[in-house]
Amino acid sequence: MKQAKKTMIGILMILMLVLGFAACKGKESGKIELTVLNYFDMTVANASDEITVIWDQFEKDNPDIKLVREDLFNEPFHNKTESYAASGQMPDVIYAWPSGRSTTLHSQRLLKDLGPLVQKDNLAPLYTPVALDPSQQASGYMGILPQSMTATNAFFVNLEVLRDCGLEPAKTYTELKAQVPILKAKGYETILMANEDTWVMQSCLFSLVAGRFCGEGWEQKILSGQAKFTDPDFVAALNFIKTLYDDGIINRTTITTGYGDVVGLFATNKGAYYIDGDWRVGAFITDKSTGQALISPDKQKDIRITVFPEIDIPGVKLNRSNSVVLGVGWGMSASIPAGSAKEEAAWKLIKWLVGKDVLAWRVQTGGVPSPSRTDIDMGSLNLEPMQVAIANLGKEYDKATVVIDGAFDGPVYTPLNDGLQAIGMGSQTPQQVAAITQAAFDAWKASQ
Amino acid sequence: MTSKTEEKISYIALITPALLIYLAVIAFPIVFSILLSLTNYNGGKIFGNPNIKFVGFDSYIYMLTEPTRNFYMALKNNMLIVAVSVFGQIPLGFILAYILNQKVVKGSNFFQTMIYLPNVISPVIIGILFKSFYYGQNSVFMEIIRKFKPNAEFSILSQPMIPVLIVILWMYTGFYVIIFLANLQRIDSAIIEAARIDGANERQILARIVLPALSGVIVTCAILAISGSLKSFDLIYVMTGGGPASQTRVLSLYMYFMAFMGAPNYPLANAISTVMVIISFILIILTRRVEKIFGGKE
Repeated sequence: MKQAKKTMIGILMILMLVLGFAACKGKESGKIELTVLNYFDMTVANASDEITVIWDQFEKDNPDIKLVREDLFNEPFHNKTESYAASGQMPDVIYAWPSGRSTTLHSQRLLKDLGPLVQKDNLAPLYTPVALDPSQQASGYMGILPQSMTATNAFFVNLEVLRDCGLEPAKTYTELKAQVPILKAKGYETILMANEDTWVMQSCLFSLVAGRFCGEGWEQKILSGQAKFTDPDFVAALNFIKTLYDDGIINRTTITTGYGDVVGLFATNKGAYYIDGDWRVGAFITDKSTGQALISPDKQKDIRITVFPEIDIPGVKLNRSNSVVLGVGWGMSASIPAGSAKEEAAWKLIKWLVGKDVLAWRVQTGGVPSPSRTDIDMGSLNLEPMQVAIANLGKEYDKATVVIDGAFDGPVYTPLNDGLQAIGMGSQTPQQVAAITQAAFDAWKASQ
Repeated sequence: MTSKTEEKISYIALITPALLIYLAVIAFPIVFSILLSLTNYNGGKIFGNPNIKFVGFDSYIYMLTEPTRNFYMALKNNMLIVAVSVFGQIPLGFILAYILNQKVVKGSNFFQTMIYLPNVISPVIIGILFKSFYYGQNSVFMEIIRKFKPNAEFSILSQPMIPVLIVILWMYTGFYVIIFLANLQRIDSAIIEAARIDGANERQILARIVLPALSGVIVTCAILAISGSLKSFDLIYVMTGGGPASQTRVLSLYMYFMAFMGAPNYPLANAISTVMVIISFILIILTRRVEKIFGGKE
């Protein structure tokens, strides 16, 4: 009898414990849980503050929402995104590009159309019109709410190096070419670039060059079949890349320079000029946690940021132009039911991530050079000289042309980028690269 | 229960777990990969996806005929690695093992350790070290060269596979040294002594006794080298990322890029992996044939 009593008490205690845990779990599960795939760029100064400033703050302000966040950077981020897309198990909220590397998310319609939500909350007056233009995104609808506009060509000029050689910033291609032997004699490279990666050259330089040689809307003509990559203007653009190598303006060895290495080379005065995207400013400014900067604010006064000089050779249709694309932003999984509490929570998070406070913080930390919101007073922000210069980059050009990896899919822009490297190596001619790109485009078009 | 039935039951009981694991982790993925390569699957759900259709050998045809000829470049690079492995690492490994076994150099234990050392370092670390020390205009090596010749420029761009092959040769030779050394030490010294008494010179002992005795080991090494060469990925991914202009891309990297970079093409990636399996089967069968023709008896 005693034994039976003991057993009963034991069972009751276990039951109470289980019920207690269940109650706790029930209370926890009362929260709406959102899975988030975040792109965490640790090369941006002050990146570590993102956790407290953005994510912890959101949870603090919204105790009914629990975030389960995954932070990844560069290729691992893209690999994970593709794995999620392949498995059909998308995170609820995801960082994404409007096209290019996030093409799968758009083409598979894995992202919810945010257009109706934007309309419902009347957000249009708060963003630049192009940021809310669905035609700018690969899906043709608003798959992401973008946080920035991106100029993929930023031409950084190191005035200290030029002064050391008795030179002024080159305004034209001819001036740039004339500076090569003078800079070389002093041991400087003319233009630094990280051309080893599979996207840098087409995105940060050739998109601008193609725009200048082929004119505005050149990509639409190719997509609609009115023009070809083998047409003389596109071949002339490729020829210009060959000229850049042949004239020694871009060293052929930039093809072996990794994207992570080039910022250090520019910061240590290895070259007079440096080509990258506008986002790269974040790598140079002061990290407030250490007080260290790759280029100190004092020295930043010697860095000018503009666009590639005027190309004063025959065949050029545009000058003072730049390649511009909608920047990255945040999307929501298409599998979240419309009108559900989860949708409401995910939308709240996206509005926070692309809201005034977060974007103003990102501008100050260098994460976002040109925000998509119109209600951020840049003059009131505490910015370093290079951040001010990049914020004013828009004043350096009059026309915006397309970024190639934003307009074409991987099977087209990858062989083109390979071809740009091959031109540098001397293993392919511009005509061959044009023919291969056109053949790749035809094959891609046939597969659609 | 008869002893035969008992034997049958115990046989089934012993074999079933291994068979199930084999089917789950090897046979099923291979068959599934082959099936996927014959479809137009382009992401999203696999089962119950109405958009997935069988398209026959389209991915294989595309792989062989696409305009950038990436497949042939990757295949050529894989064959170069196979050649360096089979005709570089194995002979060099054998020569070094033979020298160490003959005790003609002092401190053979030290050399044995030094030769084997690259094998215990991760290929990723080796890739990063070689890249920062030797590869590119801003490598440590070029910095040193520029101390003597200020305008020196890195110029291996025309043959970017060469540095990769050198690292592969350096890295894996030690592995074969250890295998050959262990097997050389197993050869009965009485046979070699008898041959010497009969007047055989060193070259004859090597050709008539040592090499035939090691023919099986050489074939095993060749199989290891071939299969290892076909799955080369980590070192090249870190050292060159398959570039410049995809010129150091190997089949596994090509497969990876098709599956995970830009707009993924899963059927093509699976077609590449199927072709890799077929190529490794062909090479292994060829190696066995060569051993049957030229090999001796252990």
